[in-house]
Amino acid sequence: MSGGGPIRHSASWGRLVAIFVTLLVLLSPFLWLLQMSFKSNELILQFPPPLVFTPTLQNYTSLWQGAFPASFVNSLMSASLSTALALVLGIPAAYALSRWAGRGKHALGFAILVTRMAPPIAFTIPFFLFYRYVGLLDTVTGLVLVYTSFNLPLVIWMMQPFFDTVPPSLEEAALVDGAPIRVIFLEIVLPMVAPGIAATAILCFLYAWNDFFFALILTRTNARTAPVAVVNFMNYEGWEWGKIAAGGSLVMAPVLIFSLAVRRYLVSGLTAGAVKG
Amino acid sequence: MSGNGLADAARRRFNILALTPSLIVLFAIAGLPAIYLVVTSLTPFQLINPGSSTDFSSPMRNYSLLPGDPRFVNSLWVQAKLSFWGVLFQVLLGMGLALLLHTQSRIVEFARTFFLIPMVLPPIVVAVIWKLIYTPDISPLYYAASLLNITMPSLTSSVDFALTAIIIADTWEWMPFTFLMVLAALQTIPDEFSEAALVDGASRLQIFYYVTLPFITPVLIISGMFRLIDSVKAFPLIFLLTSGGPGSVTEVTNYYAYLLAFDFNEIGYSSSVTVVLLLLVVAVSFGVVWMGRRREVMS
Repeated sequence: MSGGGPIRHSASWGRLVAIFVTLLVLLSPFLWLLQMSFKSNELILQFPPPLVFTPTLQNYTSLWQGAFPASFVNSLMSASLSTALALVLGIPAAYALSRWAGRGKHALGFAILVTRMAPPIAFTIPFFLFYRYVGLLDTVTGLVLVYTSFNLPLVIWMMQPFFDTVPPSLEEAALVDGAPIRVIFLEIVLPMVAPGIAATAILCFLYAWNDFFFALILTRTNARTAPVAVVNFMNYEGWEWGKIAAGGSLVMAPVLIFSLAVRRYLVSGLTAGAVKG
Repeated sequence: MSGNGLADAARRRFNILALTPSLIVLFAIAGLPAIYLVVTSLTPFQLINPGSSTDFSSPMRNYSLLPGDPRFVNSLWVQAKLSFWGVLFQVLLGMGLALLLHTQSRIVEFARTFFLIPMVLPPIVVAVIWKLIYTPDISPLYYAASLLNITMPSLTSSVDFALTAIIIADTWEWMPFTFLMVLAALQTIPDEFSEAALVDGASRLQIFYYVTLPFITPVLIISGMFRLIDSVKAFPLIFLLTSGGPGSVTEVTNYYAYLLAFDFNEIGYSSSVTVVLLLLVVAVSFGVVWMGRRREVMS
């Protein structure tokens, strides 16, 4: 690890080249998928791959004409509704926990962590049986409820540190003036943690959006989400690599845009237990 | 003073109001399912046999079957191998990457973001990407190998390489996570430490070993533990690349439980497998929390 020490100096040319080469190698599988989505099926199978080709949007347009847009809408709906639900419930709870010095705080924190860490299969079996019974299988409502089961703990876990940074003296001053805590919370504290709310909302959305496992088991056709739809191109319609690549690119587009926006908060969100899977 | 008491009471009332809805919802959508899972694991429930869902005549039957089920025992072993190698590579490569990118430069800071891409991609897209790489007809990797006159075996359907193929994909996906955590830790090391060592004539390797490494060891352990917990969830990769095969070479416990419940309809037995898996995850989570608490106390 030469040059790897804690010493901060401006990057040497050697290091810059090493970084660039590593980045290129690391991202090449991802870039391969992306360029494939702009190729016709004949071109995809052509080796050696042409260095220059005329990109085509035919994969995307054929996706647009099929059932894919419906599944894209399902993904959007279930992800944003569960995000909204988790925020509405979780933000006040996180604030209360942040201001609450009483016993049980650590136990509650641990319970929330476990909910985040549990393998999805643990929730899938009970949810599947229950949904089958009450007729929530293959509905967006069903997905929203499942996604809230991991997004709500995430909101409570992530918002607490943001509330911790709001100085209590601000609230005390307002309290002395006779303002009810509800008003202080809504009008003084919430605006101060707005960036935290935005970051948390985006992470919630991404986790729900990224889900494959729950949607695979709890949906069939009506509420099928985009990730499941992409996989279905492999199972039922033959191996349409162009469509698969275009579908995959569309599914990852919102994720890439949003996560670049919240990259600073990625660590705290992920250590609260990644929901990928 | 009475004003203060009033404020405290109001605060308590507000806290209860703010917490209760979340607790009720969490209990309903996480607590109850967990209880239901444990209850189901005590029955021989099969979907085709509805009456079996309330048959508690021999509650420990499923659990007593587990040790003698070769597929279950094998799945734990596969999971152990996948977790061990995956976590090891992710921690080592993530650390290497963090050391490489730990430098003050506008370009490098800009480049860091792009290193995070594999981690934020939807897991199913990661699986699709590696499906492309591992499918001989369309894979640039196989083409490159053929140029070098190397005949590569079909990795994902080979008994010898299937698990390695999964580990490579999993490492690619999650290395950015350890990278990000280690980088954050590196940035908290005070400069004076290594400067002093440098003045004393320490080599870069010595500085790494005696200054940097002790500083980042806790982060290496914590991020490794987080990855260990999450490695249990490596579902999309296995689902898409190998379906647990060939045979059951890549069949981890999570995948076996999925097959049991949703392919073989053995809901009761699958629940008992899942309960065991859940207990393992809880044990590791407890370890993480405990270590985190100890670090807080120490620092």
